[in-house]
Amino acid sequence: MINEQIYRRFNHTVAACFVIYFLFPEHILGIKREYFIILFWVFLVAIEYLRLNKDLKVLGMRDYEDNRIAGFVWFATGTCLILGLYELDVIPQSLAIATIIMAAYTDPLIGEANKRFGDKWGIGLGLLCSFLIYQLIIGELFYSIIGSIVAVASERPKIKWFDDDFAMQIIPILVLTLLSSMDFSPDITQNILGGN
Amino acid sequence: MNITRIYIYLMYIIVISCVIAFISKEHYIIASLLFLGNILPGYAMAASMMEKNEN
Repeated sequence: MINEQIYRRFNHTVAACFVIYFLFPEHILGIKREYFIILFWVFLVAIEYLRLNKDLKVLGMRDYEDNRIAGFVWFATGTCLILGLYELDVIPQSLAIATIIMAAYTDPLIGEANKRFGDKWGIGLGLLCSFLIYQLIIGELFYSIIGSIVAVASERPKIKWFDDDFAMQIIPILVLTLLSSMDFSPDITQNILGGN
Repeated sequence: MNITRIYIYLMYIIVISCVIAFISKEHYIIASLLFLGNILPGYAMAASMMEKNEN
């Protein structure tokens, strides 16, 4: 048997690779790339439907996920929503990239730190990790500080129908996007990978 | 179990491919983040799999 805890953590961090989407061409096989986001999401929802209703065995599920939507679906839903909002020109590319990578790393880090060293370390390391990622990608202290605080705060509440995998992406990116549109906020680099 | 192992190998390939893709486009910060963020869980995963093989 594979260590499911390590497997879950690795799955989570690999999700940072979703940002490869921004290197994809506008059209893939003649189809607009945004349609692949929908296709991918429908595929995951189909797997989740089979897991919940047809006893499909998926490795790495927690006990409490037997009768509720799994974390991987929440995470992918958050990421697909971010990519979709980027395509609709609602959110800047730099925030999308930073938030996807931040959520992929910070959530498992908080989980691991909580388990090994306690909640205070979880919060501290979570803040540090998310701050560093925002700062390295966006490079503006204003957004890095607010983004990291909002991200870690979004992880705390345990609500059955609003998973932290989803909240840690959607809440920070909405807050930062809203702030970036305000007059008092520092300018933000919109596209760091070229893009549309 | 075989499908799981193939899936895990696929995850390694995805990480390596993404790192190479970002390096080739000269986006070194993102490439480094993808590499550094996955190195520890990737190592732990590999160690866990080898441990089970020895058993």
